[in-house]
Amino acid sequence: MTLTSKPLATIVVVILFGGIFFSSAMGWWQTESTKEAAKITSGEFAGQANPADIRGSYTFGDVEKNFGISPAVLAEAFGVKDSDLAAFSVKSLEGMYTGSAQEIGTASVRLFVAFYKGMPYDLSTDTYLPESAAVILRARNLSSEQAAYLATHTVPNPGTAPATSAPQTAPQATQAPAAQPTPKAETPGTSSTDRTIKGATTFADVLGWGVSQATIEKVLGMPMPAAPGTKVKDYCTEKGLNFETIRPALQAEVDKVK
Amino acid sequence: MITLFGKRIRLFRPKSIWIRKVVQWGFFILIALISVNRTLAESGGVSIPFLANASLHAVCPFGGVETLYQFVTVGTFVQKVHQASFVLMIISLLLAILFGPVFCGWVCPLGTIQEFVSNWGRKLFRRRFNHFAPVKLDKALRYLRYGVLAWVIYMTAVTGKLIFSDYDPYFALFNFWTSEVSIIGLVILGVTLALSLFVERPWCKYACPYGAVLGITNLFRVFGIRRNVATCKADGACSIMCPMNIPVDSKTVVRDHQCISCLECTSEAVCPVAKTVQFSTRVAPQVAARSAAGGAK
Repeated sequence: MTLTSKPLATIVVVILFGGIFFSSAMGWWQTESTKEAAKITSGEFAGQANPADIRGSYTFGDVEKNFGISPAVLAEAFGVKDSDLAAFSVKSLEGMYTGSAQEIGTASVRLFVAFYKGMPYDLSTDTYLPESAAVILRARNLSSEQAAYLATHTVPNPGTAPATSAPQTAPQATQAPAAQPTPKAETPGTSSTDRTIKGATTFADVLGWGVSQATIEKVLGMPMPAAPGTKVKDYCTEKGLNFETIRPALQAEVDKVK
Repeated sequence: MITLFGKRIRLFRPKSIWIRKVVQWGFFILIALISVNRTLAESGGVSIPFLANASLHAVCPFGGVETLYQFVTVGTFVQKVHQASFVLMIISLLLAILFGPVFCGWVCPLGTIQEFVSNWGRKLFRRRFNHFAPVKLDKALRYLRYGVLAWVIYMTAVTGKLIFSDYDPYFALFNFWTSEVSIIGLVILGVTLALSLFVERPWCKYACPYGAVLGITNLFRVFGIRRNVATCKADGACSIMCPMNIPVDSKTVVRDHQCISCLECTSEAVCPVAKTVQFSTRVAPQVAARSAAGGAK
């Protein structure tokens, strides 16, 4: 049997498009991700969505569906000020942080989600987070290894960082502590740098100095605010605590870890 | 067409398989539109009607090969690769088993653009075009693409990422206006196009990992390039015109792993003798008998 060019051209086109139509009819033709992260197959987190499978095409809404972290938290973490946060795509972060010394992008979201959920993440590669994300994570129960990683893998927020933005809704997640009103977040290090508790010292500063969340809450006698950027003094005032009593107790804890 | 010494001979008038050009450019435009459509949809929500909002990765069958290991071991696809790539890989493989790498010769837009640039090279260098590289070196380099294939599969399996997209000139060609393209990809695309002035399809010959996969089917494809020794004038026209430099005039059946089933060597195109070089399932019995009597190679 011999084939010439025209029949061959016809066959190629028919088989290609016919195959596509057939697969489409069978429901096999998918040109977009199903936006369902692969599940972890073994270990403590078996069966849960794997943060490492977050893709650039995911929106914040997709991340919420998979991991239960609200778009508001993600927006606060990455300094996103979009009218529709749920529709904000993860890969757009790269464009937002073009001026950053280190790349902030999809991998950063994977890292953030993993740390936020207390899930394991491959720390052998260098992935960076903006300071605003680090502030949120420091308020959570990070392992010492994760805290150390965070300390060396944080970059300053660009000029439009949420540190100067309007107050936002407190972080809400399926596993997050109960939501509370959040005062303006502040970037640690800008308010206090000499490890001395002052009026401008934030909880994030204290966490950054190595005092655990449990210790801070023991000193306060109540849970820490959900937003670690909150000033200790403001929080004391809000909760009816005497800052002048809390300050030396907290300072003693800071001095212990010097 | 004239009859000379009992053989029907077409007066030498090299021509190309025009329908192949039509199909090639049709797919080129389609892929370009899909890529532009994707950019438009992502940037402003506007898109071209009737076109799928698919990423370039979704319409590349090589994605199916890249994700094969992960699919078999974990049951998921490598990031950026979608089920459509898998479907296209199967369709292309089916086509290749039947007709050889027709995907390379008739569909792949990177092949099309290389051939387009090569037209200028052919005019510039005439007979020297596509014959610059020393034969031995050229022959050895042809196996380089299997090394590229092994590297891509290994790296993708180890990292779970679409490593090759940073080096892929096809991706760079249709995404050069986006931030998704790496500098390295653009450089490789530039080098490929520049080399196309001297060599026909340099990327396909020396580096294409998908060409390496499909090329293997030349060893057992159903339809193949077959030369009728009994009627062959041995003028070498088929070998000269072969974009992949296959010595068609020294073979009865072309089983070369580099053949792209473009049909440019056949009697329909460059071969001046009717029904001498054909794309067929087997040589007709009477011709085979004559060939055997004449001491076919």
